[in-house]
Amino acid sequence: MAKITVDGKQLEVKDGTNVLQAVLDNDMKLEHFCYHPYLPVAGNCRTCMVEIEGPKGNMLTVGCNTKVAEGMVIHTLSPKAKQAQKSALEMLLLDHPLDCPVCDKAGECKLQNQYMEYGLYDFRRGVPRYFKGGKAEDIGEHILLDQERCVLCTRCIRFVDEVPKTSELGIVNRGHESKLDIFPGVRLDNAYSGNVTDVCPVGALTLKEFRFKQRVWFLKKTESICHGCARGCNMTVEHNKGKIYRFMPRENAELNKTWMCDEGRFSFDYYQTHRLEEVRMGHSIRSLSEGIAEIAKLLEGLSPNDVAGIASPAGALEDNYLLKKLFEKKFNVKNLAAPFWGKEGEADDILKLADKMPNRQGLKLLGIDTEGKDLLTRLEKGEFKAVIMMHNNPYGQDEERAKKVYGKVKALIVLSVHKTKTAEAASCLFPVKTFIEKNGTFVNATSRLQRFRQAFERDNPDMVEGSMWVARLAKALKLEGFNFNDPAEVFNAMAKEVPALKGLTFNAIPSTGVVLDLPPVAPEPFKNVKAQPNVVGKVKT
Amino acid sequence: MADFEPQLTKRFGLKDSHTLKVFLETGGYASLKKLFTMTPVQVIDEVKASNLKGRGGAGFPAGMKWSFVPQNTGKPIYLAVNADESEPGTFSDRFLLMNDPHLLLEGIICASFAINCHTAYIYCRGEFAHQVKRLNAAIEEAKKAGYLGKNIQGSGFDLEVYVHRGAGAYICGEETGLLESLEGKPGKPRIKPPFPAVVGLFGCPTIINNVKTLSSVPWIIANGAAAYTAIGTKESSGTHIFGLSGHVNQTGYWEMPFGLPMMEFIEKYGKGLKGGALKAVIPGGSSCPVLTAKECEDLALSYESMRDHKTMFGTGCAIIMNEHTDMAKVLKNLTHFYSHESCGQCTPCREGTAWEDRLMKKILDGEATTKELDLMLEIADNMEGKTICVLSAALAMPVRSFLKKFPDDFRKYCKSAPVAVPGAVS
Repeated sequence: MAKITVDGKQLEVKDGTNVLQAVLDNDMKLEHFCYHPYLPVAGNCRTCMVEIEGPKGNMLTVGCNTKVAEGMVIHTLSPKAKQAQKSALEMLLLDHPLDCPVCDKAGECKLQNQYMEYGLYDFRRGVPRYFKGGKAEDIGEHILLDQERCVLCTRCIRFVDEVPKTSELGIVNRGHESKLDIFPGVRLDNAYSGNVTDVCPVGALTLKEFRFKQRVWFLKKTESICHGCARGCNMTVEHNKGKIYRFMPRENAELNKTWMCDEGRFSFDYYQTHRLEEVRMGHSIRSLSEGIAEIAKLLEGLSPNDVAGIASPAGALEDNYLLKKLFEKKFNVKNLAAPFWGKEGEADDILKLADKMPNRQGLKLLGIDTEGKDLLTRLEKGEFKAVIMMHNNPYGQDEERAKKVYGKVKALIVLSVHKTKTAEAASCLFPVKTFIEKNGTFVNATSRLQRFRQAFERDNPDMVEGSMWVARLAKALKLEGFNFNDPAEVFNAMAKEVPALKGLTFNAIPSTGVVLDLPPVAPEPFKNVKAQPNVVGKVKT
Repeated sequence: MADFEPQLTKRFGLKDSHTLKVFLETGGYASLKKLFTMTPVQVIDEVKASNLKGRGGAGFPAGMKWSFVPQNTGKPIYLAVNADESEPGTFSDRFLLMNDPHLLLEGIICASFAINCHTAYIYCRGEFAHQVKRLNAAIEEAKKAGYLGKNIQGSGFDLEVYVHRGAGAYICGEETGLLESLEGKPGKPRIKPPFPAVVGLFGCPTIINNVKTLSSVPWIIANGAAAYTAIGTKESSGTHIFGLSGHVNQTGYWEMPFGLPMMEFIEKYGKGLKGGALKAVIPGGSSCPVLTAKECEDLALSYESMRDHKTMFGTGCAIIMNEHTDMAKVLKNLTHFYSHESCGQCTPCREGTAWEDRLMKKILDGEATTKELDLMLEIADNMEGKTICVLSAALAMPVRSFLKKFPDDFRKYCKSAPVAVPGAVS
């Protein structure tokens, strides 16, 4: 730790921190564009200028490339420092188009925000504007480039060089004719391309999927976890009036840093299309309570060994826990498993894992068999009369096999988010909420327990969380110990029973998760990415 | 000036002076015998004692620079020779490379021995096509004769020298821009720290020296530091190649010890002014603050005299301007040059140099008021010292000195300030 003084305030900061990060970590302000805590320092925007006292007098320098030293005295508000900050901003805005009203970045643009705070308000270019050209060029599957808005901070270039290591972007020309461009003959189509729009401090790089869809100040943000694979990248669901507009990566220094793959980022539309909305018994539509009552009646008439349960690596910990509990109390827990026939997906050394299910480790934690070979053979033999299947789509994954396995079952009770083939095959069908619409937890491949929160409530009384469906059924079956109103309560009850979760409550889970005592099944992320030395604190904009 | 022996230009004018044969006949590579009896530390101490300053423009003591190289990193150490001479008004390295390439090679061997380097690169300005040919021929000759390559002259010291031709960017003469270009990247100066002596070419410790600096070393090794400090002035030891261009009757370059008065230089070597009385002198390449005729009266060609006059020695090649020179047009030339050559990395330089140039155009077009002159001064203040390298300062200094020392040349282009009309919409 080093003791430093910033604007008269005594601070204690970690050795090796740079001055800019030290200032930001202590909730003080210092403007910056090119600096990003997870990218190498470029020091080219020259806005984080500070004055540092030294033996030869005060030195004006950039905060991002100056490491703190014991006893360092730093001024961010001195007239000299202020002047340097203001003039750098003035130069950045010199030929920048003033198209904020039609710019998609407005509201989260660093140039806009910082100019409000540090800017020189008397505009004095005095010469005609220099047009860099290049409006909304299509440079990739998801990305549009607006060259004249670019402030040449090179964050995107450093990102494509350092993380996906694909190096599609570069600066062409020299001096004030410099502009960001994509190399000839290539497209910005790497698996992490969406991140360039996050690091872009201005509206130069924008997402086709988000462009002109919603002004950012209307967006509500909810902490969540990506559902796309077993990595469980931290993310924020950004939504308004029950519609999701984008997924944004959320910082987790130990997991995804501030990155996210495109597969995960652009999956948001999947959760709001082809949704199942109605409870269906055979061919007739029912309300949820009618459906539950009918199911309960049906199950009451069966012996415990007539009912099989299919848990799911796609479901939350709470869903699977309550399903297991139902089988423990009412049926036979040996008849519960989570066979999953989904294909493995693309994997890399950065974030993506081949296992595209977010909670397979969670099943392990709960002791649910993830293969279920025995159960499947017995199903095939026709030993079961009813199956409760949660968040699973065997008919979509392997129809032939699914028909063989589930064809003899009289009552196939399916809880599904989407209108899948399995939903078509179901005899009793219940719509359930996605992870975005409920509270819950996943355990990722590196055994990190992570919480996601409900972003918004669905305007459909027939649609509940998987765990709440189980709780309602259990009540209809007159079982004790299922008195829950929200998955968060389920978690708290579960934490008392599962040793690895001991002492945790839903609200006490840190926003970046906790690593459980459970052997990890995947390597840590960023295996081949150079260690980035300046990871210290939070990303501040 | 009969009282000094030319060190850098003594072979200039000899027939085939660039060949090894002539070089050896005239005492070339003689310093190596003594060099290999010394230890590297002794060589560094000798050069330190000689007070040899970097001839590239900044004037940093060469021996001191060499002593910064860490010897215990386990990485190779490189020497990069800066032959990217492109400062406007400067023309001496090109002649050295043409007429005496072996002298540079001898200096490279001395410096490499001192810093324990076995691979040296000569970064040549892209336009120096002929010089590159000469250098490559000289390296071939020297290799064949055992002055380069493995076990030089039986000393056990190995050295390979490679010539790299740039693509003609001024900024590649900045030492870290040069390293980037040498590595095959765009020539954009690196942020410091780390300094190149610690993390330089390919991430290894690297020393970057100018052609003239290295060419001065063999003489120092052969004759000793004391003999070198005896030449020149107290703070500026040795000799230098001084150049004259502009409004003089005879332009050219001459090797001389430091300390000659500027006016004597103009009279004696430049054969007097051409076309009118003296108006201004840019003493050492275009980025040095300009001096008025009055300031030049007691100016001498030395680091300390230039410093006392609040300008820089720079490259030692002066641009002379007579009374009919329009300083506004001169400055427009400079603003154009620096805005064109800015690498575009740092905001204040990228935008500032171009802004100055656009304002200069406005001034010359007669569309500016004195407000623009003030703005130019403020932009100069806002760019200098706020960027990674000194290119922004290289324009800020002339802008400030031109506007302050020759205000009338600029005011004559300016419209009188607009009178505010009540109720008018601006």
